[in-house]
Amino acid sequence: MGALIRIYTLAGNTLREVIRNRILYVLLCFAIVLIATGVVLSALSYVEQERILQDVGLGSIRLFGTVIAIFLGVGVLHKEVDRRTIYTILSKPISRSEFVLGKYLGLTATIWLQLLIMSAAFALISWLAHAPLGTGHAAALLLSGLEMSLMVAVATLFSAFTTPMLASFFTAGIWVVGHLTRDLRQLASHSDVSAVRELAVWIHRLLPDLESFNVSIQAVHGLPIEGSEVTLPIAYGIGYASLVLILAIVLFERRDFR
Amino acid sequence: MSERADTSPVTKIVVVEDLTKDLRPGFGLRRKRVLDRISFSVERGEIFGFVGPNGAGKTTTLKVLMGLIRATSGRAQILGHDVRETAYRRHVGFLPENPYFHDFLTGREFLAFYAKLSGLRRSNRAARIEALLDLVGLREAADARLRTYSKGMLQRIGLAQSLVHDPEVVFLDEPMSGLDPLGRKEIRDLILRLRTEGKTVFMNSHILSDVEMLCDRVAIIAEGRIRYEGGVDAFLPHGESGTDVVATGLAPEAAAKLHDRLGERMRVQGERVELRVPHKQVGELLAELLAMGAEVTSVMPHRASLESIFLSTVQERRRWAR
Amino acid sequence: MGEQAAVGTRWVQLVAALSFAALTVVSFSKLPMPIRGARGDLFIPRPEVARIASLGFEALVADYYWLQAVQIVGGAQNPTRYAPLIGGLIDVVTTLNPWVGHPYRFAAVWLIDSPESVRQANRLLERAIEHHPEDWRHYFYLGFNQFFYLEDNEAAAAVLERAIELRGAPLYLKRLVARLKVQADGLETGATFLRELIATTRSRKARAKYERALDEIETERRARWLDQAREDYRERFGRDIETIGDLVRGPDPVREALPPEPHGWEWILKGKKRRLVSSYYGHRYEPQFHRTERKRRKHWRAELLEREGSGR
Repeated sequence: MGALIRIYTLAGNTLREVIRNRILYVLLCFAIVLIATGVVLSALSYVEQERILQDVGLGSIRLFGTVIAIFLGVGVLHKEVDRRTIYTILSKPISRSEFVLGKYLGLTATIWLQLLIMSAAFALISWLAHAPLGTGHAAALLLSGLEMSLMVAVATLFSAFTTPMLASFFTAGIWVVGHLTRDLRQLASHSDVSAVRELAVWIHRLLPDLESFNVSIQAVHGLPIEGSEVTLPIAYGIGYASLVLILAIVLFERRDFR
Repeated sequence: MSERADTSPVTKIVVVEDLTKDLRPGFGLRRKRVLDRISFSVERGEIFGFVGPNGAGKTTTLKVLMGLIRATSGRAQILGHDVRETAYRRHVGFLPENPYFHDFLTGREFLAFYAKLSGLRRSNRAARIEALLDLVGLREAADARLRTYSKGMLQRIGLAQSLVHDPEVVFLDEPMSGLDPLGRKEIRDLILRLRTEGKTVFMNSHILSDVEMLCDRVAIIAEGRIRYEGGVDAFLPHGESGTDVVATGLAPEAAAKLHDRLGERMRVQGERVELRVPHKQVGELLAELLAMGAEVTSVMPHRASLESIFLSTVQERRRWAR
Repeated sequence: MGEQAAVGTRWVQLVAALSFAALTVVSFSKLPMPIRGARGDLFIPRPEVARIASLGFEALVADYYWLQAVQIVGGAQNPTRYAPLIGGLIDVVTTLNPWVGHPYRFAAVWLIDSPESVRQANRLLERAIEHHPEDWRHYFYLGFNQFFYLEDNEAAAAVLERAIELRGAPLYLKRLVARLKVQADGLETGATFLRELIATTRSRKARAKYERALDEIETERRARWLDQAREDYRERFGRDIETIGDLVRGPDPVREALPPEPHGWEWILKGKKRRLVSSYYGHRYEPQFHRTERKRRKHWRAELLEREGSGR
């Protein structure tokens, strides 16, 4: 019970920190402008303008959400250590695992809050342009929020043991590879060398399969999205993020703050 | 919640035995021993000074005690608990050196945050925060963001933070560094007040005068080893003190005569000479200088800093004139 | 003094700023904007590589290449000249996001400069059909390409037949299939197909149209019989008939009797080409082309033949 209160307190403080940070509003405004850019871009095409509008909208949300997730995620632990604010926090009856969880949950709450704002902008623009909006769009946004939350966990992991520079590099790398693992596995399945096939399968298993969180094309085209296409990625995302966080905690607990 | 039932029988608040810490500055680099089998203890109700020159291992020791660094070997206990535990920290306060806090918070939010983290119940949180704001004299600034605080205000709100959960023992790392004289006095007064409230204070410092003024007992650390542990009175006379006199316009032959007498305690820099003599001989020296036609530009009592003590007593390699 | 100098500098700054602004605006408005790709400066990635490299942003990247294609067509005098470029772009677009609709038909419209282009358009249309099996238009474009440019009536009929029952498919599609079948397999296949349609349709209006088409087939059957007779006449006498009556006239006519025009109208020889038609319909039963289309097709056929000739 006490642990939950402490985690909640830390998460609330992290959320407050981000909300009071101006850079984030700049990023958020930029994202909304980009969502709105869809209006201009779609005007360039004489047909299927609603589709392009929504492609740009969902694309911007996912791109900016990921950038913000990585940007905030790699700083999350490092900033506390670098500015030595962690010293007084850990001198209170707080375990390091509570600290990591509190910071993670606070940041994730921030990410979802931003996703909500961007989604509202997206919905408004879609509505003004008479573009269709349905459960598919909600599913796409939900899953992209999950992908962002997973990226925050990955960023937290790297942030637990390396510099923000390297952590952003690694996290961005995981993000890129995470979108490739399916293709990689498929390409490698044609290989004659069994070691190559095995390697690709293991890469796909070990690294996050981020394409499973991407149903934006189905959403925009109004294609049917199966229930399992939403529930399974949710379970997968939560499971994977938890494993990553446990690893982050293990590494963070061994760390000396010199 | 058993608030303090488990801690009251302990009389030794801090026990450190054979504590050793090795650092490896980077891959493939040689280990460096920053703490070498140090041992000391802190009694209930005292102000304990942990003193040593910069880089001696004071902060490292304190970080081990606060669980921020893992010791390589040895034992460190606070209130009878191993420092790697977390629950006992309900009774421990900590103010790091040159503290930097979440500057997006106001003073009041800042204290509330730490109060919640310390497990303070909502019912007594607000009253406690108001009392602390009064204690450190920041009631006026309570709703300003920490970003706008001066260094002295940060140090005071930091101290309030370390006291928010009414701990039994408070650890302060260089609590007066970087403060102006007024700020130093305010912090000093607060520390003394803690003792009257029956708290134990553990204080890192490299400034002898502060330690002399505040502490009941000290431990001296240099190059990772404890050199002394005991009362303040016993250790202060070790220091060499005196008065520094600076003069100009001294004739060369007069200077040479003085140098023969004072030896290493006189340094010549062109026209300017710097001399150090015991307090009692200052009048005599001044008269002599004036008689020689010199112009005295500065007379200053020399404060024996810990650095100078270590340079004289530990290293034995001190050279006043080169 | 210093005050005056400051005011002077401010004027200089203002004038300089305004003149540079004017220079920027004017020169920008006159910047040459050639069609990208016309000079080979448009990089079109391999579709599969583009798909993998777009890292989950396939839809967005597809839109980018789609807009490129639109720009090319929008800015070109004769867009078919850029057919290979357009084909490449649309291939990328539809590989990245195969659920797009219009780009497929866009490709079908512009990829008509060569048989290769048409075949590429057809490959794209097959991809369209795979992802939009319910949309009749892609079958229509594919079938049109098959019979119009590739002149494969059998394949065209097979493709179009799949479209005729789809929602939104126009009625004329069914009759077009019938005509194509007549061209490809002969009248009996076409007639069977139409009888099948008549038996299954619920719409009275549609049935009337099919019955009329069936009637046209009967007329066409007789017209072909007459065509054959006319051919026999030409072989025997070394010249064409003057009137339809020549077929039964004279001491040794090529035919004993002529089949009556089914509607009680008559058979005539129409136009410069003196095509044998029923005066009731005024044309034969075959796919009808607009005159300009016919011209384009002819031109295109000539070009194709020439190229194939020079290839040998």
